Amino acid sequence: MSDTLETPAVPTTLLKGKRILVAKPGLDGHDVGAKVIALALRDAGAEVIYTGLRKSPGFIARVAVDEDVDAVGLSILSGSHKELVADSIAALAQEGASAIPVFVGGTIPAEDVAMLLDLGVKAVFTADMKLDDVIAEVAAGLRGQPT
Amino acid sequence: MNVAPRSPILDRRALGRALSRAADAALADILATPRDESRHLARRIGVTGPPGAGKSTLIAALARHRLARAGQVAIVAIDPTSPKTGGSILGDRIRMDGLVDDPRVFIRSLASRSATDGLADNLPEILGVFDDFGFDEIILETVGVGQAEFAVRDLVDVELLVLSPGAGDQIQAMKAGILETADIFVINKADQPDAAKVEAELKATLALTAPGEPPPVLRVRADAGENIAALDAAIEHAAEHQAAHGPDARRRRVRQRVRGLVWRQLTAVLARLPQEALDQPLPALYAAVLAGLAAGPAG
Repeated sequence: MSDTLETPAVPTTLLKGKRILVAKPGLDGHDVGAKVIALALRDAGAEVIYTGLRKSPGFIARVAVDEDVDAVGLSILSGSHKELVADSIAALAQEGASAIPVFVGGTIPAEDVAMLLDLGVKAVFTADMKLDDVIAEVAAGLRGQPT
Repeated sequence: MNVAPRSPILDRRALGRALSRAADAALADILATPRDESRHLARRIGVTGPPGAGKSTLIAALARHRLARAGQVAIVAIDPTSPKTGGSILGDRIRMDGLVDDPRVFIRSLASRSATDGLADNLPEILGVFDDFGFDEIILETVGVGQAEFAVRDLVDVELLVLSPGAGDQIQAMKAGILETADIFVINKADQPDAAKVEAELKATLALTAPGEPPPVLRVRADAGENIAALDAAIEHAAEHQAAHGPDARRRRVRQRVRGLVWRQLTAVLARLPQEALDQPLPALYAAVLAGLAAGPAG
């Protein structure tokens, strides 16, 4: 956990001009991780929208479309990541926004990562990753995306 | 005003993308294809006031009343951009969660980017997109820095200033600026003990500042929806007394628009200035900046 609370060693502008939605689907009530990520994205130059706790996939997709974000980050600690990620991706598709890349972070067992990537997730982040690496991977995932 | 039919927003994806294009448009593109300033169709309500006054919560409560009068309502909420990283947290809409399910409401968060007047870069162009999509009303929430925020006056038909108890010092600080321009004054969190005191102070200050008929001062509780109907009616009344579509209003909008564009260009010129240019004597530096402005938009 201490790793995730460090501030990035070198401030970057890797995400300058990008709009990113940080969302908490499902019922878990902890958003320290989501907020740490939101601040790290901001410090990398992104314009970050945070949904707050316990949002439905439909709500998240609506916000993503209205705000025309470049990426959606789903923070999930409840263990229901399979259903919540699948439903969120389906909700985005229903709003005509399947082109928006989805990232997932939280307590995701290593053996579930491949399954999430199969659902269409761009990358999966776990709590032991350095923030700089998360930012770099988000930036890499957004490169070459249609804007 | 006719009660418009309940009309869901049909293509949210297209609207969302059009707003991004307007927000990201380069100066040169805006100058090459300027928007027709007379196409101002949606009524614009500006909501300003210091941080923590409850602007977002008030807008959430107010939007429900406005929807009874308007078919489609847009909410545009501006948060500050960090001058250091260019990043921002756009957190106003979290107070408006209850509106997200309503198909007639569209909430868009904006970062101020290079603007320092409580508004955002390209805001006139962004608001114009809602006109193109046939919206009836736009509620605009400014950054909320206080005294600097009277640029919004030129962009909106009705301007609300929101204060909360404990704002006594803020009234003193603001009396030269926004107190002279707002149409309606709202004291939020009216259940708090100092509400009556703030109201009295505000009315006393307004009596000194504003000549003629004093503007309405309303005490509300945005979180409980108290007295929002009265505020809604006051907005309607104020709007009817504004010649929103007259030549004066158009010229005010144009003035704000050109000011915003020049400001953006000035920010770019200053950013491009080599360090050693800052060692010149002031008159030479000033001339260099003016020459940079005259050189035209760099994009």
